Amino acid sequence: MNNPLLEQFVQEAREGLETIGRALLQLEHAPDDKEVINALFRSIHTLKGNSGLLGLTPLAGATHHAEDLLDQVRNGVLPFVADYADILLEWADFVSDCLDDLDTVGELQALRDDRAAQIATALKGCLGAPGTAVRPVESESPAVVADWLQSFPANVLEQEKHDAARESHPLSAVHYQPDSECFFSGEDPLLQLRQVEGLRWLDIQPVSPWPDMAELDIYRCNLEIRFLCRMDGQALKELFRYMAPYTKVRQLQGSTFRPVFYLDEAESDPRPLSEEEHTAWFKIVETQRKILELPADAGIWEGRLQSVVQTLANLYRYQQSQPMLEALSQAYDRCIELKSAEPVLRLLRGGDGNPAGFVDGASSALAGSAPVAGPVQEDAGRRTDESAEKASRVLKVSQEKVDRLMDLIGEMVVAKNALPYLAGKAENQFGNRELAREIKSQYLVINRIAEEMQDAIMQVRMMPVGTIFQRFPRLVRDLSKKLHKQVELVLEGEDTEADKNVIERLAEPMIHILRNSLDHGIESPEARLAAGKPAQGCIRISAHQEADRVIIQIRDDGKGIDPVQVRRKAMEKSLIDAAKAESLSDADAIQLIFHPGFSTAEQVSDLSGRGVGMDVVRSAIEAVHGSFQLESKVGEGTLLQLALPLSMAVTNVMIIESSGQIFGVPMEMVVETVRVARSQIRHFKHNRSTVLRGRIVPLYGLNALLALDEEQMANEQDELAVLVLRMGAENVGIVVDEFRETVDIILKPMEGILAQLSVYSGTALLGDGTVLMVINPKELLLCL
Amino acid sequence: MKRVLIVDDAATVRLYHRKILTDAGLSVDEAVNGIEALEKAMQSPYDLYIVDINMPKMDGYTFVRTLRADLSLMQSPAIMVSTESKEGDVVVAYMAGANGYIIKPAKPVELTLLTRLLLGEPD
Repeated sequence: MNNPLLEQFVQEAREGLETIGRALLQLEHAPDDKEVINALFRSIHTLKGNSGLLGLTPLAGATHHAEDLLDQVRNGVLPFVADYADILLEWADFVSDCLDDLDTVGELQALRDDRAAQIATALKGCLGAPGTAVRPVESESPAVVADWLQSFPANVLEQEKHDAARESHPLSAVHYQPDSECFFSGEDPLLQLRQVEGLRWLDIQPVSPWPDMAELDIYRCNLEIRFLCRMDGQALKELFRYMAPYTKVRQLQGSTFRPVFYLDEAESDPRPLSEEEHTAWFKIVETQRKILELPADAGIWEGRLQSVVQTLANLYRYQQSQPMLEALSQAYDRCIELKSAEPVLRLLRGGDGNPAGFVDGASSALAGSAPVAGPVQEDAGRRTDESAEKASRVLKVSQEKVDRLMDLIGEMVVAKNALPYLAGKAENQFGNRELAREIKSQYLVINRIAEEMQDAIMQVRMMPVGTIFQRFPRLVRDLSKKLHKQVELVLEGEDTEADKNVIERLAEPMIHILRNSLDHGIESPEARLAAGKPAQGCIRISAHQEADRVIIQIRDDGKGIDPVQVRRKAMEKSLIDAAKAESLSDADAIQLIFHPGFSTAEQVSDLSGRGVGMDVVRSAIEAVHGSFQLESKVGEGTLLQLALPLSMAVTNVMIIESSGQIFGVPMEMVVETVRVARSQIRHFKHNRSTVLRGRIVPLYGLNALLALDEEQMANEQDELAVLVLRMGAENVGIVVDEFRETVDIILKPMEGILAQLSVYSGTALLGDGTVLMVINPKELLLCL
Repeated sequence: MKRVLIVDDAATVRLYHRKILTDAGLSVDEAVNGIEALEKAMQSPYDLYIVDINMPKMDGYTFVRTLRADLSLMQSPAIMVSTESKEGDVVVAYMAGANGYIIKPAKPVELTLLTRLLLGEPD
C-alpha cells in the first residue's frame, strides 16, 4: 500500500473493530449500558464516514445499515438483544475481511459485493419502524470549560458584570494555582498579582489545609488564587503567559474584539470572481442570513453575530470590496448598540438573489423547526473531565521504524564490543598502555550509553499482554456456543507488559491452549452437574511479571488430564514402551501430551484437533525462549504456566571453547560452570555422570555431541570444564575445553540450507569480526 | 499564515482534510474532540474551525456553542462537517453557531474554495 490515506484508514478501522468487538461482548452482559452503546455507535459511525471518504462502496453500504441499527438502539426504539450481537459480529468479520483485502491487494475483492448485500439485508431485517422515537440532542455538557467559574460567588459575579457593563469596561475572571515548586523556577505569585490592573475581587485559599507550623514547608507553594479584574482576556493571557499551565482565564464582559473589517492591502479595485467563486460566495452569504434569522439564546447571541459578521467581512475582503466592508462595519456597530441583528440582516436583504444554503433543502427546514435545538445545560454528564485528562500524548510510529532503530542499536551494541579488542591490540601489539587505558575508559562510557539506548528502545517495544487477551472473549464465546458448554472466561493482569515480538508470537499458542481447554478440559453442563460442579466452567487467564520473565497462567476447572489414558495413548502411538510407561510418574506422564504427534482426543475435532497437538504450543513457546509447566488433577482441572522473557532482542551468551573452536550458549540455560576432577567422574556403560551438590548430573562431551573427533581437554590439574545447563526440571552437564567471557549478542537465525541445523539457534557477529555459532542445547541433547 | 483547526475523532478524516488544507497553503492543527479543541483554541485562537458533529467527550455542537459564548474565541467562522444530510441536523448546527455545513466527503476543490472564501484569502 502506497496510499497514506488508505493505510491510515485500515489502521483506524482495525482499532475501531477492536472497540466494536469489545462493546458487543459487553452488551451481551449489560444490554442497557448507554455508554457502551454510544461508544459502539460512534465507532461504527466513524467507520462508515471513513469508508465513504475512500469510496469503498460495499463496506460503506453494509456499515450504513449497522449504524442505522445502532442508531435505533441508541434512541431507545429497539432494545439490544443477543441476535443483534450475532449479526453485528458477522458484519464485523466482513469488515475485517475487507480490511485484509485492502492490506493485501489494495482494493476490495469483487465477491465482497454479494456478502455486503447479504449482511445489509440481515441488518435491515432488525430495524424497527423509522422515526418512532425522537433522538435527544446529544449533549455532554461543557462542564470542563465552565466548572472553575462556579467557585466564584454568584452575587459578586453578577454585581461586577453589571458594573463593568455600565462603565464599559472589560471584566475577566482568573483562576491561578501556582505550581507547588514555583519558587524554584523564579515565579512569584505576589508579584504576578501586583501587575494585575483593575483588581476588583480577590480570594486566596490554601490548596490543602495548612499544616502545623512545625511541619509547614515554606518552600512549597500551597495557594489557589481567584480574582476578578478589569483587564481583557488577551492582556491577561499575555501577563500570565509563563504560568499558562496553571492559569485559567475567562473574559466575562466587554468585547474588546471586533471583527476585522479592513483589507490587507488598500487596493481599491474589487476583484472579479470566477463563476465557481461567485456561486460559492453567494451561498455563504445566504447561509449567514439564515443563521441570523434563527432565534438565539442570550449566551451565544453576540458570538453568533460576531462570527457571522467576520464571515461576511472575510467574503468582502476576498472580493476586495472596500465600500461593503465599511457598510458592514457600521451595521455591526448598530447591532451592538441595539442588541439586535437587524441592521446586518437589512444589509444582507438589500443584496440581490437568494440562492440556496450549503445544503439543499436547508431553507425549507428553517421554517418551523427551530425548537429542535433544545436547551443544553450543565446537567448532563460529568464524566467528561476525567477521560479528558487520561488522554495522554501519544505518537504513532510504524513498526518498521522502531525495528530499524532497534536493529541499529543492536548493531551498535555489537560494534562497541570491538573496543576492548582494540585496547588489547594497542597494548599487546603496539605496546601503548596509555592508549589502551584511554580506549577502555571510552569503552565504558559508550557501553553505558548503548545499554541505556537498548533499555529505552525496549520500553518503546513493550506492549501489554491485554492486546492479545482481548481476542479471547470472542473466541470463548463462539466456541462454547458451538460445543454447548457454559464457560466463563476471567482475565487478570492484562496490563503486564512484554516485548511486542514475544506478545505477538504468543497469540497463536494461547489460542491453541484455550481451544484445548474448551474442547477437552471443560465438561458439558450435564457432566459437570453430575460431578458436583457448577454447570458453568471457568477458564482463568492471568499474567504477571516475575523478575525478567512474564508468567502467564491458563487454569481451567475441567476434568483434568488423565495420566492413565495418556500412558495408554503414548504406547499405542509407540512414543514410549511399556517399561518406560510404568516408570513414569503421573506428573511426568501428562507431559507426554507435548510430544509431537500426540493427541488424546478420541477423534480429531474441528476445534482443537486439526491433526496437531500440544507440541505446536511447545515449539512456539520455545521459539521465544520461553518455558512452560503443566499440572493437572483428574476431576479438578488443569494449570498450564508459561514463563516468557520480557524481550528477545539481545541474547546474553557464554562463550565456550571446544576442539579449538568457540561456541555460544544462552546464559538463560546456564546454571553454573564447574571444574570436575577426572577422578570424580563415574562411568556406567557408555554414560558418564558426576555428583554436584548432592545431585547426580549426567555428563556429555560437547565434541561427541557435535561429532567432532577430538577428546575434551583437561587443564593442568586434570580437571574438566563442565557447563551445567537447566533442562526442564533436570540439570545436565556439558563437558567443554574452556570457558570464556559472556557477551551480549544479536542472534541472527540460520538461513538457507543451514536453517536445517537445528542444533544451532543462530549466529552472531563478535566485536573482532569473528562469527559465533550459538548452540541450542535442547536440540543438541535430542541427538543422544 | 492563517490557522485552521480540524476537530474530528476519525484520524482518516483528519488526514484527508489536513492534506487538502495544507495544499491550500494553510497552517493546520488537529484535535480529536471538542475538549481538546477548546484547550488548543484557548491557548491561541484559530481563524477557522472545521468541526465534526459526532465525537466522544464533547460533540461538535457543544464545542461550537462554547466558542460562541467565549469573548476571546467567538468571532472566528466555524464549519460543521457531517455524514448526515438531514435538515434538522443542519438547523441544529446553525443554532449552535456554525457558519456553514458540509457533507463528508467534501471534494478537495470545493473545500479549498470554501475555506479561502471564509478566510477572506484568495490564493
